[in-house]
Amino acid sequence: MKLRLFHKFFFAFLTVGIAVVAMAGFLIERELRTDLTTRIDDEIAAEARIIALMPAGEIARHAEELAERARARLTLIDATGRVTVDSERDNREMDNHLDRPEIQEALLKGVGKAVRYSLTLKKDMIYVAVPLQEGSRTTGYIRLSRPLTEIALATYGMGKTVFAIMLAIVVVSLTIALLFSLKMLSPIHKMAVFAGQVRTGNISGTLRIDSRDEIGQLAECINEMVAVLQEKIRTADAEKRKLESVFSNMREGVMVLDAENRIESVNRGIEEMTGRQHRDVIGKTLLEAFRNSKLHDALERFRVREETIYDEIGLGDNRPVMMDVTFSAFRGETDAERKTILVFHDVTRLKKLERIRTDFVANVTHEIRTPLTAIIGFVETLQRGAVDDRGKTQEFLRTIHENAQRLNRLVDDLLILTGIELSETNFHPERLTIEGALDQALAVIADRVSERKLKLFKEIRQDLPPIRADKDSLIQVLLNILDNAVKFTPEGGTITVTASPGAEQDLIVRIADTGVGIPKGEIPRLGERFYRTDKTRSRELGGTGLGLSIVKHLMKAHQGRMVIESSLGRGTTVSLHFPIFQESI
Amino acid sequence: MEEKRHINIQYDKELREVKDSLIYVGALTEKAIEQGMNALLNRDTELARQVIANDILIDRLDIEIEEKCIRLLALRQPAAKDLRFITTAIKINGHLERIGDMAANIAEKAIILNQEPLLKPYIDLPRMAEVAQGMIKESLDAFVNEDVALAHKVRKDDQIIDNLNEQIFRELLTFMMEDPHTIHRSLIISQISKLLERVSDHAEGIADMVIYMVTGQSVRHKPASAENG
Repeated sequence: MKLRLFHKFFFAFLTVGIAVVAMAGFLIERELRTDLTTRIDDEIAAEARIIALMPAGEIARHAEELAERARARLTLIDATGRVTVDSERDNREMDNHLDRPEIQEALLKGVGKAVRYSLTLKKDMIYVAVPLQEGSRTTGYIRLSRPLTEIALATYGMGKTVFAIMLAIVVVSLTIALLFSLKMLSPIHKMAVFAGQVRTGNISGTLRIDSRDEIGQLAECINEMVAVLQEKIRTADAEKRKLESVFSNMREGVMVLDAENRIESVNRGIEEMTGRQHRDVIGKTLLEAFRNSKLHDALERFRVREETIYDEIGLGDNRPVMMDVTFSAFRGETDAERKTILVFHDVTRLKKLERIRTDFVANVTHEIRTPLTAIIGFVETLQRGAVDDRGKTQEFLRTIHENAQRLNRLVDDLLILTGIELSETNFHPERLTIEGALDQALAVIADRVSERKLKLFKEIRQDLPPIRADKDSLIQVLLNILDNAVKFTPEGGTITVTASPGAEQDLIVRIADTGVGIPKGEIPRLGERFYRTDKTRSRELGGTGLGLSIVKHLMKAHQGRMVIESSLGRGTTVSLHFPIFQESI
Repeated sequence: MEEKRHINIQYDKELREVKDSLIYVGALTEKAIEQGMNALLNRDTELARQVIANDILIDRLDIEIEEKCIRLLALRQPAAKDLRFITTAIKINGHLERIGDMAANIAEKAIILNQEPLLKPYIDLPRMAEVAQGMIKESLDAFVNEDVALAHKVRKDDQIIDNLNEQIFRELLTFMMEDPHTIHRSLIISQISKLLERVSDHAEGIADMVIYMVTGQSVRHKPASAENG
């Protein structure tokens, strides 16, 4: 950069300098040459005229001496052009000279001059000829000639001077170019470096140039430009960051496909929903990344119809996820900029709630109808006359009573559940010791435990902190869990109740049985209303299908939680986590 | 195929299409096995019928993919890796089609079993199905990502399936000996177990072809333990 400008300066100065000197040299040389030639001309012309005054015989006799005196070559030519005498050559070898231009000119004008290459002497010669006259008759010509070496010597001397001047010019222009380029270049170089920095993205700092000329103005402009650029980039950056944070933080999954339908970007929502990492899906097609035929079908449909479409698609490796997917197009200016935007909305929970609701209605109807059918059936039988049979009547009435009670229990449970859900139950959390509540609950089921010959172990540490709970609710929770343990543990089994402090400022009550166990896939559904793992058996045992649901909701109201672990055939452990009582609350 | 672009864009597109179709069928068969097993485990006859109906689509795609491959072979005369890819595609296609058929078979058995009381809670069968499904999934992942290491893992997993298959058979044998009423159901469960075992064999076949496609080495009919041990 720097060098290039320096070169430009240098060559410019050099060219101009050398051109001027060369031109001057050329002109001076020409002038000098003409001047010298004229002078020599005149000189030898004068000499020739003087010699011409001598008679021809004298000239011939003293030719060499005359030539020496005149510092020239002397040639005597007679009127016919024959050379009679030559000071430097044998006249007999020389041809007729009448056709020589100087002779012709002398014949016409009285004096003839010519500069030409002498074939005789093999050098550039200047010739001057004057006629020899006797009276008005021309008897011959006297010609003097001198070589041009004199002139050459003179011009050579001048050439040396010119060359020296040129050399001086080279040196001077080098110096000037160096100074100039340094002076000019230092700011320009600074600007270039600064612009380079800006190009690579480093747009901090300003350009400092102390100059008021055009370069200073240019620097000022660059500074303003950079300031504007900085502002623009900052705004764009802020905007981009804002969009990015929206993009990555939104719960919905967003995916962008490029023109070739390869995944260009996904947000965190997608990673969370599908369990696939960013790097595993970028650059792949939907099929490669998710291998889901429905998703692929939906994309195909979208491409054909070219309009926003919605679809519900099951995705996810570890847990099934129900997605509501919206396809929309982003049309760029060219086909290559065409993108497809997929927005995934996780509707798994919604779907589940929907199912639970429909299940609930179906279940309630079913649960109510079963005892009602029995009651109506027996009442009708009694009406038809069975009432007269005392034994039968007693039996029927007992069945009717049982079913009515079952209905009652169901309605009670439903009321409790609805109450908790609507937060309308009288929920009074207070400072309680777990042991007191446990003893009360165990007392209620004691009869059934001994009836089924179950072994009951209670291991409760004495130093347990008090918990914060509503007394009635706490007993209800413990009763429901214990009730299940008793129901589903075969005769001779064991129920173990332990209580110990937990890790998170809580107290854990574990009720473990050696019962039938629960299939792993069903555990998450246990808190659902009317959900039964073994439908017929549970109902035989008099369950309403609402017990665990009530526990789940009550635990939630206590800000605690219930954890169920189970293995088929080995038994189930229910852990209830209660928050520890704290004075400040 | 991704790294080297062919001069002929159309050819590239056709190769892509074959790969996409294969992955698509892969997705369908994967789903079919999952649904077939769910139909059995959840005693969901409706789902089982659906699986059987869906097999028609897999069969149709099987023919389509094969035709595409043959067309490519005939018209493009592929060489080197492309040739290996297409031959591999033909074979993987066959494996997938068979897996699809087996999913339908499992669904058929599920319908029969759903009409009778539960013999016992399924414990080993779901585990076996889980491993087999994992093998299909991983063999297809290996195909998509050209992941040889994953393909080798699939080959090793086949042993787990074989062990479970034997275990289930022994257990069923005791059931049948104890109570002749269970023979019918036991035999069907045994058949399902055998079907799953064959599904895993096909998954292994896919893995073999992936190894061949990527490395050019044939590992078929060689025990999985021999090459890494």
